[in-house]
Amino acid sequence: MSIAIEKTQAPARAVARKLLRRDDGWAGLLFALPHLILFIVFLLGPTLYGFFISLHQWHVLAKEHPFVGLSNYKAALGDDIFWLALRNTAYFVILVVPLGNLVSLLLALGVAGVKRFGTFYKVAFYVPVVISIAVVSVLWQWLYNTEIGLLNLYLKTAINGLRHMGMALPPFQPLPWLSDPHWAMPSIALMSIWWGAGGNMILYLAGINNIAPDYYEAATIDGANTWQRFWAITWPLLKPTTLFCLVFSVLGAFQIFGQSYVLYGGGSGPGRAGLTLVLYMYQQGFSQYEIGYGAAIAYLLFAIVLIFTGIQFKLMQGREEK
Amino acid sequence: MRIANRRRPLSILVALCIVLTGVRCGTAPTDQDGKDGNKIVVNFWNGFTGPDGKTMAAIVKQFQTENPDVEVKMQIIPWGTYYDKLTLSLAYGGAPDVFIMQAARFTEYASFNTLKPMAPLIASAKPALTEKDFAAVPWKATMYHGTQYALPLDMHPIGLYYNTKLFKEAGIVDDKGQAKPPTTLTEFLDDAKKLTKDTDGDGRPDQWGFAYTFQHTNWLTFAHQFGGDIVTPDGKAGSMSSPACLQATHLMCDLIYKYKIAPKPEGVDSWLAFRQGKVAMAMEGIYMLSSLQQQPGLQFAGAPVPQFGPKQGIWGGSHLLCQPATISPERSQAAWRLMRYLSDHSLAWGGGGQVPARLDVQDSPKFQEMTVQAQFAREKGYVVYDPQIPKANALNQFVDPAIEAALTQFQTPEDAMHDADQRIDQLLKRP
Repeated sequence: MSIAIEKTQAPARAVARKLLRRDDGWAGLLFALPHLILFIVFLLGPTLYGFFISLHQWHVLAKEHPFVGLSNYKAALGDDIFWLALRNTAYFVILVVPLGNLVSLLLALGVAGVKRFGTFYKVAFYVPVVISIAVVSVLWQWLYNTEIGLLNLYLKTAINGLRHMGMALPPFQPLPWLSDPHWAMPSIALMSIWWGAGGNMILYLAGINNIAPDYYEAATIDGANTWQRFWAITWPLLKPTTLFCLVFSVLGAFQIFGQSYVLYGGGSGPGRAGLTLVLYMYQQGFSQYEIGYGAAIAYLLFAIVLIFTGIQFKLMQGREEK
Repeated sequence: MRIANRRRPLSILVALCIVLTGVRCGTAPTDQDGKDGNKIVVNFWNGFTGPDGKTMAAIVKQFQTENPDVEVKMQIIPWGTYYDKLTLSLAYGGAPDVFIMQAARFTEYASFNTLKPMAPLIASAKPALTEKDFAAVPWKATMYHGTQYALPLDMHPIGLYYNTKLFKEAGIVDDKGQAKPPTTLTEFLDDAKKLTKDTDGDGRPDQWGFAYTFQHTNWLTFAHQFGGDIVTPDGKAGSMSSPACLQATHLMCDLIYKYKIAPKPEGVDSWLAFRQGKVAMAMEGIYMLSSLQQQPGLQFAGAPVPQFGPKQGIWGGSHLLCQPATISPERSQAAWRLMRYLSDHSLAWGGGGQVPARLDVQDSPKFQEMTVQAQFAREKGYVVYDPQIPKANALNQFVDPAIEAALTQFQTPEDAMHDADQRIDQLLKRP
């Protein structure tokens, strides 16, 4: 009997639900509209248009933009500066992602451990994240200055001090932080870590605070020392956080632009050592006005980042299923 | 249902607001006919952010008092972003009626038909204005494929600035006891050696005889003197690895590493060092003059660049006055009046650190009284510009890093120049 009632009522209910849904749909759409319009006009539209542009020989000033198929992509893949930029970008990712995350984790562990002034430390470490990268770069440009920079001044004082104490150190030579091709990318990486470490620190801190204190209590009772507690409890339970941070660090690091752009004033640094893929794209598109070529570089970067993201999300899914 | 119904007006309202705000933004008042009341508005763009901007503003102000029917709206945009803004305005609308174009960029813009041909305006000028009124080099720089697209305002050659106090201290003086600038390579090396000093005894000189301030213009000056250039004379291939250019590059490197009279150009602000009296000689454009005049306590003078190679030659540039191809005839006429006025009154412009393109102004006694300008103007017969080809600016992305790589010994001159040529050829072959 009850089943029959269900059946007779079902179509009416379904219609009502559909109506409601349709209504909700319209209202929902309207509510989403402000974001949707911005998303379509400023993100989706340009993204698709960019792909269209990348298939053309497109100089900003030219009246006609002939279709050239994939030859912009072919030209980019045959361009040794493109590969150099990719190598520099990859070097930056390799430097910044593991080291940056290590620093963030250490900061988080430290901040989680302090009993007093916890908020002060949190704010102090987080403040650089709030500063614009342009400001950070200008600031560090002075710190890195070979002749009058603060970093070299401190190093000089430290080394002279050690020599004074009788250590057999060679006399101090100022480090060419930004003006030597070998130092350029590590310097940019160091600055970027200082700039971004606070962001991931907050995430790690949240992860650490989510771990139930019972585990630590139990471990302490069993006689585990600090290292053992970290290695057996904190580290494994932090893995989802770590993975999340790694994924987003990689995505962010591949898109490095502002650092090189400001430090090297739109140039590429000594021996092009500061040239990154996004900077190269910018130079081609907006300094040379060859936006077809620039768009092709952008899509190649997009493809690389997409592959990395795919791999990492697979990894993340695998973890969650376990 | 009911809830949904209540929501709807709100969402419509929100949507309406957004649409309306959008519409409001779109209908900002414009003056497409170029008239503001009864005056014709002439928009004038340039990149004169330094003291030269003030000089230009003063000339423009004078123009306005003499031409009350025209209102000039001058906009100064830093050179770093100037061409980006100009390019977009020429491509998508909103271009100024008169704008400054540097000779190094001129051919690029002319080749895309974005500039208005100037010959009819110049021909109709009263009093008449002809080729004979202008220095030959900047006049030639206004031509593209036989058509004239600009009026040359000035020329800015590179010249030798030298610190007269340091020269006198080192005893490099003439019969009258005045500092004596070098004119040949031998003199230059002798003087520079005397002027390079390690005053605090730490094994590193803290006063240098010479320094590279702007590698691009310095390299082109050396290269021209050996008969070399960035591209071959037909503009179709790179020639930075030609024997002439390599000789020039080696000499430049020798000044740093063999003769040790110039610092390695790495993390040093050489121009600042010259201003502070830590460098005795530098080769810079005449437009840097005002930056020296403002330096308290600096005693300096200007001279033609010494002859380093087998022939005379120096880098130079020009500010050219252009109109956009799309300008209306009425505004073009008004804009032309401003251009003509700037040309006629370029003596004041020269005072700010330029050599006016007009020969009558160059020869005027008042200009001859401007000592540095007059000294630099002596070089006008052998000024060479950046290559006058459409892709000249695009080539610089290979040219400048190659020069830097050679001067910092990141690469040998041979390797650096060879790499540059390969890339230049690749780019020139691209359609």
